[in-house]
Amino acid sequence: MNDLLTHIGYGHFLVLAAVLFVMGVAGVLMRRNALIIMMSIELMLNAANLTVLTFARMHGDVSGHTFALIVIAVAAAEVAVGLAIVVALFRGRRHVDVDRLNTLKH
Amino acid sequence: MSGRVLAAIAALFLVLGLVAAGTAAAQPAGGDAPSVTIQATPGAGVSTASRDIATGSGAGMAILFWALALGTVGGAAFVLTRRNLIAAVMGMVGTFLALAGLYMMLYASFLAVIQMLVYAGAIMVLFVFVIMVLNRPEDEPWGMVGLPGKALAGLAMLYLLVRLVMLVWSVNVPDTALVAPAAVAFPGDAAHTVYEFGSTAAVGTSLFSDYLFPFEAISILLLIAVVGAIAVARPLNDADELPGAQPPAPTGGH
Repeated sequence: MNDLLTHIGYGHFLVLAAVLFVMGVAGVLMRRNALIIMMSIELMLNAANLTVLTFARMHGDVSGHTFALIVIAVAAAEVAVGLAIVVALFRGRRHVDVDRLNTLKH
Repeated sequence: MSGRVLAAIAALFLVLGLVAAGTAAAQPAGGDAPSVTIQATPGAGVSTASRDIATGSGAGMAILFWALALGTVGGAAFVLTRRNLIAAVMGMVGTFLALAGLYMMLYASFLAVIQMLVYAGAIMVLFVFVIMVLNRPEDEPWGMVGLPGKALAGLAMLYLLVRLVMLVWSVNVPDTALVAPAAVAFPGDAAHTVYEFGSTAAVGTSLFSDYLFPFEAISILLLIAVVGAIAVARPLNDADELPGAQPPAPTGGH
């Protein structure tokens, strides 16, 4: 147990990424504000990036870094479009509560 | 708890993340010779023993990792629990900065800086701008409608966490765990230049030689995203350009 606390290995980084990913899933499933949901998606993307970089370090391969860079660029594009959608929703409805966004359901 | 107390806690996370990232940046550089490994043979330029995170500076690295892990998970907890959107964003920034420190521990120095610039800089500003437009705290963050479904979701997430941890714990970690990675060379390079792992030169060479097509595809994607964001967020007509503004008085020719 003490060894687990003081001897940091790759497993620590991977488990931390798993915890972060699950917290992101929790945010997406449980929160109602669309902005918080987008932040939670960012958390999940970052957890995936941490995993990619850990494996890149483990194998000594810089390709993982390139992959993480591309993930960051895609996340930036996703945030831009997603926030534009949130603003457009708010303009029409005065709220961004996903529990009340059920027009397509009825 | 009032909003100011929460904002102070969020700022604390921010400072923690910044300090930790700075410490992590200083850590690998200290104590070994400048290891620019150009014109060195692979593996000979960097002395691996002195840069071993686990054995080289044992307790310090462990404390650093746990501090950064606390910043990461604490910031994520802020995102999950705060009603105040600004507090949630500040927690998210703390998470991102602590993650930049973790990237430094993994010798991904270029990615750590990019993480700070893109996430803690650009994306955070974008979120704060949209929160300024919205400026409305949630009525009830967790929402009691559909409680059975949420309990089921909680159970499913617990199962997901257990499965993920089981999966990563079974990863076959090599014995040379956390030894500094060897210098990187690229097979197509006639000059046999050797780069330090995770440096800007190494990532750039990889990006512009092996991954040129994804790089160009990303540029197209970003262009489409910019045009799409403007097209989506643009008001459909002039009347609702300013939220809450009075409709303009009829002025003859329109």
